[in-house]
Formats: sequence, C-alpha cells, structure tokens
Amino acid sequence: MPLIELNQVSKIYTSGNQQIAAIDHVDLQIDAGEFCVLAGPSGSGKTTLLNLIGCLDEASSGTIILDNLEVSRRTVRQLADFRLHNIGFIFQSYNLIPVLTAEENASFPLLLQKVAKPERIQRVGELLHALGLQGLEKRRPRDLSGGQQQRVAVARAMATNPAVILADEPTANLDSKNSSDLLQMMRTLNRNKGTTFVFSSHDPMVIAMADRVIQLHDGRLVSDSHQDSVA
Amino acid sequence: MDYLSLAWKNLWRNRRRTLITLLAISLALMLTQTLHNLAMGSYTQMIENGVRSGSGHFTVYHHGYRQDHDEKLAFSSGSLIATLTDTAPIECVLPRIHLGGLAQSSHDSRAVAIMGIDMAAEAAVNPVLKNLPAEQWLRKEQPRDALLGRRLLDELKIHIGQKLVLTVQNRNGDLVSELLRVRGIIDSRIKQIDSSLVMIGLNKAAMITERQGQIHELALVLNNTEAMPQLLNTISPLFNDNSELELVPWQVAMPNLADAIRLDYASQNVMLLIIMLIITIGIVNTLLMSVMERIHEFGIMLATGMSPFKLWQLVVCEAAMLGTTAALFGSVLGSLTTWYLVEVGIDLRDFISENMEFGGVVFDPILRATWSSAWMLESALYIVLLSIVAALYPAFKAARLAPVDAMRHN
Repeated sequence: MPLIELNQVSKIYTSGNQQIAAIDHVDLQIDAGEFCVLAGPSGSGKTTLLNLIGCLDEASSGTIILDNLEVSRRTVRQLADFRLHNIGFIFQSYNLIPVLTAEENASFPLLLQKVAKPERIQRVGELLHALGLQGLEKRRPRDLSGGQQQRVAVARAMATNPAVILADEPTANLDSKNSSDLLQMMRTLNRNKGTTFVFSSHDPMVIAMADRVIQLHDGRLVSDSHQDSVA
Repeated sequence: MDYLSLAWKNLWRNRRRTLITLLAISLALMLTQTLHNLAMGSYTQMIENGVRSGSGHFTVYHHGYRQDHDEKLAFSSGSLIATLTDTAPIECVLPRIHLGGLAQSSHDSRAVAIMGIDMAAEAAVNPVLKNLPAEQWLRKEQPRDALLGRRLLDELKIHIGQKLVLTVQNRNGDLVSELLRVRGIIDSRIKQIDSSLVMIGLNKAAMITERQGQIHELALVLNNTEAMPQLLNTISPLFNDNSELELVPWQVAMPNLADAIRLDYASQNVMLLIIMLIITIGIVNTLLMSVMERIHEFGIMLATGMSPFKLWQLVVCEAAMLGTTAALFGSVLGSLTTWYLVEVGIDLRDFISENMEFGGVVFDPILRATWSSAWMLESALYIVLLSIVAALYPAFKAARLAPVDAMRHN
C-alpha cells in the first residue's frame, strides 16, 4: 500500500466568474521511504499539491488517502492530530516562531504531543546536535542565519519522527553551500530513518538529489520518472 | 517551554503595546477601586453622622408616628430601654420627644422644631452637638436651659443667657408657654437644623406637654453598622408581641439619606460601567491587533498540528495573563491610594466654606475612604474575567483560520 495516494484530485479556485484549476485531475502514489520532488515552473501547482498532501487544504474533487485513511472523511481536529503525528513541514521562509528559542521551536510539535519536558529537551538536543546546531539552542530565530534557521525548521519537522516530511522550496532562500548541506542532511535522515521526503522545487540541485521527479505543468502531472540521485 | 510560557512570551512580543495596555487597565482598576472605597467611606461617614444625629441605626416609634408625626403617639420608654440594653450590645439609646411650637423673643418669633433630649447620652454621640462646649450643655438642675440653632438665634435677635418663650400644645390640645433661657448654640452647618431647632431637656419637654415618662422616638446607636442584621435578629422578637411599637432601621427612618446614597451609588456605578467599557475596548483592541499580526504564525502552528481549540486556548490564556497582571498591579495601586485616603483623606475645607450637607446630614469636609477588601477582590477578578471575555472574539477569529490561508497572510 502506498503511503500517499491521490486519485483524480483537483483544486479549483474561483476568481470572479473565472474558475482556475490549480491542480487538475492528478493521480499520484508515493511509497514510504521515497525521496521525491514535485518539479515545475512557478504557478504549476507544486505548493498547492503539497498543501493537499499535507492536509492543509481541501481538494475540490477526487480523493486523497494518507496512511490508508481518506482525508476528506476527517474532521478539522482529526486532521490537525494527523498532521501532528504523521507529517513534518519545512517551509521556504523557515517560519519559526520568533519569540521561541531554537530549542523551543524545534520541540514545539513535541509540546503539542504532550511529551514530557525532559524527553523533549533530550530528543531535540540530539536532533539539533545532528544538524550542527549545538551551542545555538538558546538563540532566537533573529539571532540565527538563514541556513541555521532552516536547520531548526528541519529539526522541528523531524522532532516527532513523522512518516513523511513535506518541504516547500526548502532551499529557495539559501545560498548554494547551505542548500547543499541541507539536502545532504535530509538525504541522510531519509536513508537512516526511512522518512519519506516530498519536496516542491525548481532548484536543479534539489531535483538532481531526488530519486523520483514528478513534473507538473498548469496543475497537471506531465511526467513522473525515477532517477539515480547524485547523492 | 509550555503553553503558559508560550502565552507569556507572546504577550510580551510587543513590549510597548502590552505595557501601555497593562498600565491603562491597571490605572482604570485603581481608579474604580479608589472611587468605590472613597464613596463607601463617605457613605459610612454620612450614615454614622445620620444615625447619630437622627434616627439611630434602629428606631423605636409608636405605630403611625412616622407617617403623621402626631404628638399624641408617644410611648413609655422606661422598661423598654432596660430590656434593650440588657438584650443587645447597643452603644447607646437616645430617648427623644419631638414637638412643634413657636419661639418668641422680645424682638421676634419663629416656628420651631423642639427636641427633648437626654443631654449626656446625646452629647456623647450626636455630631450636631460635637462643637458644643461642655459649659453650654443643658443642666439637670436648670430645667429652663435651651440650645438654639445659630440662625434661629440670629433671627430671634437673642444671645446666650437671654430669655425666650416656647409655646406648644400639651396632651389635651391646650396651648402652654414656658420661659426658657439660651444656654448654648447649635452649629450643625445644616440650614434646616440651625434655623429651626430648639433642644431642651427630656424631662422639661415631657413636663410642658404633660407626658411624663413618655417619648416619641427611641434611637438605638450601635458601635458598628455591620452589626445591624445580627442585632435585628436579636431584638426584633421584642416587638413582635408589642403591636403598639415598631422597630425600623435607619433606611426607613431616614428615607432621604437612604435615597440620596442609593442615587449617588447608582451614578457611581454608571461611571464604573463606563470605565469598564473603556477597559474592555482597550483589551479587545490589544488582543485583536496581537492576533491580526500573528495570522501567519498561527497558520504555522495549525500546520504543525496545533488544534484550533488549542490555539483558541492560547489566545484566551494570553488575555487571562494580561488581565491577571493588570489586576495585581492595579490592586496594588488601588491599595496604596486607598491607604492614603483612609489615613489622610481629601481635605475639602479650602474649597467648601459651609453647608456641607447631603441627604439632610452633615458631611465631613475631610473625605476618607474605607477598606472594602471584598469589593477590591471582586473588581480585580472582574478585570480578569473581562479580559477573558474580551479575548473570546479574537481567539475565535484565530481558531477559525484555515492553515493554508493563514500561511499566505503577510
């Protein structure tokens, strides 16, 4: 059974009298442990598809099945709970909570999961160490560089050991060195822990690193190919 | 980090705005507590003055006397006074005879209200007599002594030591006159009293009207107004079997004063309500702004897996913290100002020259507050509650956000 399954999924936006299909009848299956990228030019529907997979948005039609359960049958609260336990998000602009330290940001999902404080500190400490952020635990986002902030975001996404991590243009705001380091880290996590990664990106470095490239154009899935990654 | 510390951190992310809101709420709370305590102090003072110069905390009348002031409705007080003082902890009992009459001097005449009093008992508690020097008190051995209001004395154009004639009706309805001598001056600063009151000895008043042993009013003064309900329970059975007499509290005996206080308290409450409304608007404004500028962040929290209800709780928790901090700080300020007003008070003597009168009672020109701890606690809790209520809409707005829309918000 695939971890993620989309059947004839569409997402229609209405603007005045016009209807725009951001996602147009997409069929897609992603298995556990995959390291794949949704590629395509701006406006092709990558972020929208990622949001649909991440239960952040509702499909206009079609079915999305995650972990054997259909998303549309779940309540808002159940979806929040599902995201908390199964999905990690990495965003283009890091999206850390500015009043919290790196450690507190990374442990935020664990707080939501009601994990005891000592365990939260231990688990997040290990993650931050693995991501090269030791010594920066007590710093707030404004005191961290872009690359460091994105690594905190990765730690936050990884903290709950989710089945899948969805990363929306994770390298868009990073220089090539930081981008390469970040991708290597995620690749390592994917191989060591078997975590499924789904990226949206048009960065050639990300595309080259992926095992599978799903090409979108104007909301349609135009190609889906496996490749030997460079990593 | 837990939810409380997250809420606390969120509260202080815009330090200046939170401080201004906090200060505004605290000052408003201080103002409401101080105004209330000052009003309560004034009311207590007025009630004390009122009951001591007027009806007492409780008054015993003959049935019907309050309505008609019919001089014939007198009652015998001897055994009643003994029974009352034996039964209940009463500071003092003030037997009084009230008569209407005419005062004549060699120059002029005036209609007067005559009050027969027990000088020793009355002087100890009645604020109308507090400025009367001991050498001007009515003497037992000189039953012709009389105390006159300052204005009345001026109108009759007589002085201390000079004579006047009082003419009243006796119990048979016949007019009787009595020659008296001015012993002292009543200077209550209440126009009505100073221009019409004549005080004479209780026995003299009884003798003139041929009502020996009878009085019209028995005022009971307590040490503490708050003891009224307890005392009522103790002494009211004494009047159940005595259909001739009635026991009334000061609110009934002095409806003018009770109504004046009620009216003043009502207008005070309207003012407090307006202050509370301003506080509410301030809190709603702060929280709404705080929510609106964090919509994107709320989107991230929701995406991470926070439930809408948890987000709602977080915003309400922030408001509760704001309200609690303001309540604590405001109560400290309110306590300090109340303490000052209890100890020092506000001296109005430079602003008001005379006739400090409210509801027919002498008003002390130095306003003092009283501690109303229960009310202070209540108002502080009210601020916390108000903060929470004010946060409900912003919290609801935050909880209703769709994660994907919220994350698009800049």
